[in-house]
Amino acid sequence: MNILSINNVSKKFGDLEVLKNITIDVAEGEVIAIIGPSGSGKSTLLRCIIKLVNIDKGSIEIEGKPMVYRDTEGNSIYSSDKDIRVLRKKMGMVFQNFNLFPHKSVLENIIEAPLTVNNAIRKEAESTADKLLAKVGLSDKRNSFPCELSGGQKQRVAIARALAMNPAIMLFDEPTSALDPELTGEVLRVMKALAEERMTMLVVTHEMAFAREVADRVIFMDLGEIIEQGSPKEVFGNPTHPRTKAFLGQILR
Amino acid sequence: MDYDYIINTAIAITKGFKVTYSLLFTTLLLSLPLGLLIALARISKSRLLQYVAGTYIWLLRGTPLLLQVFFIYFGLPAFGITFDSMTAAIVAFSLNYAAYFAEIFRSGIQSIDRGQYESADVLGLTYTQTMKRIIIPQMAKRVLPPVSNEVITLVKDTALVFGIGLLDTLRTAQIIVTRDFNITAFVIAGIFYLINTLILTLIFNRLEQKYSYYYD
Ligand SMILES: Nc1ncnc2c1ncn2[C@@H]1O[C@H](COP(=O)(O)OP(=O)(O)OP(=O)(O)O)[C@@H](O)[C@H]1O
Ligand SMILES: [Mg+2]
Repeated sequence: MNILSINNVSKKFGDLEVLKNITIDVAEGEVIAIIGPSGSGKSTLLRCIIKLVNIDKGSIEIEGKPMVYRDTEGNSIYSSDKDIRVLRKKMGMVFQNFNLFPHKSVLENIIEAPLTVNNAIRKEAESTADKLLAKVGLSDKRNSFPCELSGGQKQRVAIARALAMNPAIMLFDEPTSALDPELTGEVLRVMKALAEERMTMLVVTHEMAFAREVADRVIFMDLGEIIEQGSPKEVFGNPTHPRTKAFLGQILR
Repeated sequence: MDYDYIINTAIAITKGFKVTYSLLFTTLLLSLPLGLLIALARISKSRLLQYVAGTYIWLLRGTPLLLQVFFIYFGLPAFGITFDSMTAAIVAFSLNYAAYFAEIFRSGIQSIDRGQYESADVLGLTYTQTMKRIIIPQMAKRVLPPVSNEVITLVKDTALVFGIGLLDTLRTAQIIVTRDFNITAFVIAGIFYLINTLILTLIFNRLEQKYSYYYD
């Protein structure tokens, strides 16, 4: 069974068709890199999956349960708020701009959702947080505030914060694009370690080396469509579509 | 200099301090939370709430505070609602200041980055939890300077209650000045307002310092 199924999803902003009939099946433990030029709809796709925006057409299932399904007339219907809450909790998301809570310490950022959403016991939430901080290499920053961290450190805290909710699927939207080049490595290493633990991951990225090395599958999007997909070897080594070739030619130059 | 006169006058004016302080602190206690509620209504998804809050703010900021005091003290009895003068003043001041605070809070809330809502949302926080734990605490830091401004204006606005016969600091001083043909009482009243605005300024500076443990 697929952990995530996206079927014929379309999304418009006004007259602009941002996603056109997107279908992706994600197997458990699969790491998917989504690449494509600016404005091709990569962020919108992730935001639709985690329901930061609603889709217009199609359906999305998580672990076989519909978050949004098609009725007999083909209209997309969202499940009940209660069911959606359960399904959304299976996903974590990491943003380009980190979006840490600036008024909370690193530790408080990480335990915020476990405490308020899951009613976790503080002690347990803190011990989970400490383990996650060790995992992302930031144990010494436990009591720092986001303003005291570098971009790479902020992003690693953001990853720990998402992991604290114990998601089954992690969505990354250009997690290293806001970082100075020398800081991308530390974030990519954490993501790679996560992939090695068989976390299911959808990663929108411009880091082609990372996609090539870590992804099981690369999806190339342009103008709201999936143009081409396959293993990194296939897509990078032997792209078939001219638009993929043009994009890779530009970015790998 | 007649020190005895100065001291006696100061003692006589302290009776007015009580009125000024009650009005000041009760108004703050009521108008700050009310202002926050109005701000939340103003930015809510409900069109009706937005409209009600918007109209409220327009009416209360769009007419003189003294007129509102008059309306509540002299006007409402016509509808069978009567207040003693102190209550009328407190009601009018609280409603009026709530409108100003609401606008300050609204702009403070709207200055918070959308990403804060999004990250709270994907972590599973409800709207109420997001407002209470993420947005409003950050808003509080940002609105300290304009709130401080309003509070200092309020200290001086309290003097408007002479209009409904309340014996506040300024009115008490004025009575003494007229009686004695001596402006000492005005000077003492002036010093009283200065000291209070100074104390409040210091309190707000401390609060700003307290919040300086982070920046964004
Ligand atoms: N909330 C929105 N309202 C209107 N238009 C939007 C909205 N969000 C995105 N768009 C538009 O949808 C298109 C796709 O945007 P999206 O952010 O998904 O692209 P992207 O592939 O992530 O690009 P980038 O690489 O620049 O991040 C763009 O043309 C964008 O302007
Ligand atoms: Mg994007």
